[in-house]
Amino acid sequence: MKLAQKYNRVNLFTTLIILVMSGAIYYFAIHYILTSKLDNDLKIEEEEIIASVQKYNKLPLPSDFKDQKVTYKELGTTEEVERYFVNTSYYNQDEKDSEPGRSLITTVKAGDRSYAVTITKSSLEAEDLVRLIFLITLGVIILLLISLTVVNRFILSSLWRPFYDILKQLKAFNLADKNEVSVQQTQIDEFQELNQSVIAMSARVRQDYKELKSFTDNASHEMMTPLAVINSKLDTLIQTEALSDRQGELIEDVYLAVNKLSRLNQSLLLLAKIENNLIKDEEDVSLDILVAQKLRQFNELFIANEIQVEKKLEARQLYMSKYLADIMLNNLINNAIRHNVQNGEILVELSAGVLSISNTGAGKALDGNRPFERFYKDPASEGAGLGLAITSQICNLYHYKLSYSYRAGRHIFSIKF
Amino acid sequence: MKILLIEDEEALREDIITYFTEEGSLCETADDYATALTKINIYNYDCIVLDLTLPDGDGMEILRKLKSLHKNDGVLIISARHSLDDKLSGLNLGADDYLVKPFHLSELKARVSAIVRRKSFDGNNLIVFHEINIDTLAMKTMVGQNIVNLTKKEYDLLVYFIANQNKVITKSALAEHLWGDEIDLSDHFDFIYTHIKNLRKKLVETGCNDYIKSMYGVGYKFSS
Repeated sequence: MKLAQKYNRVNLFTTLIILVMSGAIYYFAIHYILTSKLDNDLKIEEEEIIASVQKYNKLPLPSDFKDQKVTYKELGTTEEVERYFVNTSYYNQDEKDSEPGRSLITTVKAGDRSYAVTITKSSLEAEDLVRLIFLITLGVIILLLISLTVVNRFILSSLWRPFYDILKQLKAFNLADKNEVSVQQTQIDEFQELNQSVIAMSARVRQDYKELKSFTDNASHEMMTPLAVINSKLDTLIQTEALSDRQGELIEDVYLAVNKLSRLNQSLLLLAKIENNLIKDEEDVSLDILVAQKLRQFNELFIANEIQVEKKLEARQLYMSKYLADIMLNNLINNAIRHNVQNGEILVELSAGVLSISNTGAGKALDGNRPFERFYKDPASEGAGLGLAITSQICNLYHYKLSYSYRAGRHIFSIKF
Repeated sequence: MKILLIEDEEALREDIITYFTEEGSLCETADDYATALTKINIYNYDCIVLDLTLPDGDGMEILRKLKSLHKNDGVLIISARHSLDDKLSGLNLGADDYLVKPFHLSELKARVSAIVRRKSFDGNNLIVFHEINIDTLAMKTMVGQNIVNLTKKEYDLLVYFIANQNKVITKSALAEHLWGDEIDLSDHFDFIYTHIKNLRKKLVETGCNDYIKSMYGVGYKFSS
């Protein structure tokens, strides 16, 4: 539910309750005021009758005029009537209709006799007034609700515009591109604060990103330079004529060690970069085409190791870094070759949701999730044990699910997209 | 070939110069940004070998400067920076190639030769080594008047050998050159031997001298 909608709902609901309650209170108050005014009128009439009885010592004539009726009833000697007001009905002679009325019943003594006097007044006018007031109130309530709804909708949406604007910018925020977050000017303090915070945050994040990037660059430089020197010194050394076979072998070993070290360094830096999301060149990658291309590239290795390769590829587009997709496939295929048997098989299957690469292999299943741990490797393997860790990290980055299983002598690695 | 090497690491600089100058290339050096700028302002080079991380500036700036001077020098970036955007921005700024440290000197030599070949338009697409003639545009190899049918890998090997003639080239350098550094080849050197055997056989069958010499343990040497 949108904030404006929620707010509108609560607002309208409470407004409605308050209005209905105040309407009721209003109704009863007015009703009470009008009734007490009628009662006052009845009391004045009573006083007039009593005054008249005292003056003339007899009852005035029963009267029935102008919405007012006075009747008398003689009471027995023992009978007594308490004075009280009551809501009755009033018969209107002119209209020939019964109207709501208010009566005062009281006793009066004329000479020795007691009489019950009933003074009745029509309360029709008062009722009409109350009804009119009620209708006006109802009208006001409806008008108020409608205008509240309209105003809320209109004002709220324009008030929240800076918020939605900044939200859109945040969604589009990309570390790698250099565009600053641009914000709409707003008079609202909260939004101004929000804008400032977002700008400050994006600047801080960019700064962190830059520092991290320069760290990996510097680390790379500082570690690779000595390796480059060793490599070039070895290259120069082997140009000297008088190398014995033994020396040649030793030098070859040093080459291999340097090679391993530089690969390890590159792998670790790559892991750091993936973890910190420093590789930002996502594009649409046709995985089926890329897999086919990789298999061609590895063809010589398959032939050299006498491995049969079978592929079943369906078209599949992924939105990811092509560089990382490349590394992911390299690692998986390298792995399938490295841990294969003579005359083995590799099966590469790509369906719409899953890429699976399975290979025949000597030995037994690998240990659960450990293949994806850093530096976990088969004792016989020459790799550093980072290939699958990198693959797993790439899959994490894009929320793909990488899993390993072992069935019928085959190691199966599959990635669910 | 006239080459400018911009590299601040002295040990590396010396090795590269030694490797390049032995068979007649003219190699100048600059060890910092300021010297490099002065040199590119005054002289023209066939190829500039450029390290991106210099003590007093960024190698990328040198690329920009070259561009603003409208120089047509070939540029090969050598850098320890392995990130994709560095490669892309370097190539976008007009560098011809990008080589990540650590590299083999033979690989550097082959890349520089390729750049120089590409840059000199005036029919200099021929590599000649005694009776071997290679037309790099058509990727055609001739021994005397006879065409030798080489596979892509064998052709690459031959060009690599000729660029590094009289040098000992290691097996790992050859493997990296042929298959790139992404395939982990440390335990797959065996089939380089197959390629070399095939190349040697094809050349000899067409009447070529056998120039490939095997150096036990280390690698191979292509020399007359």
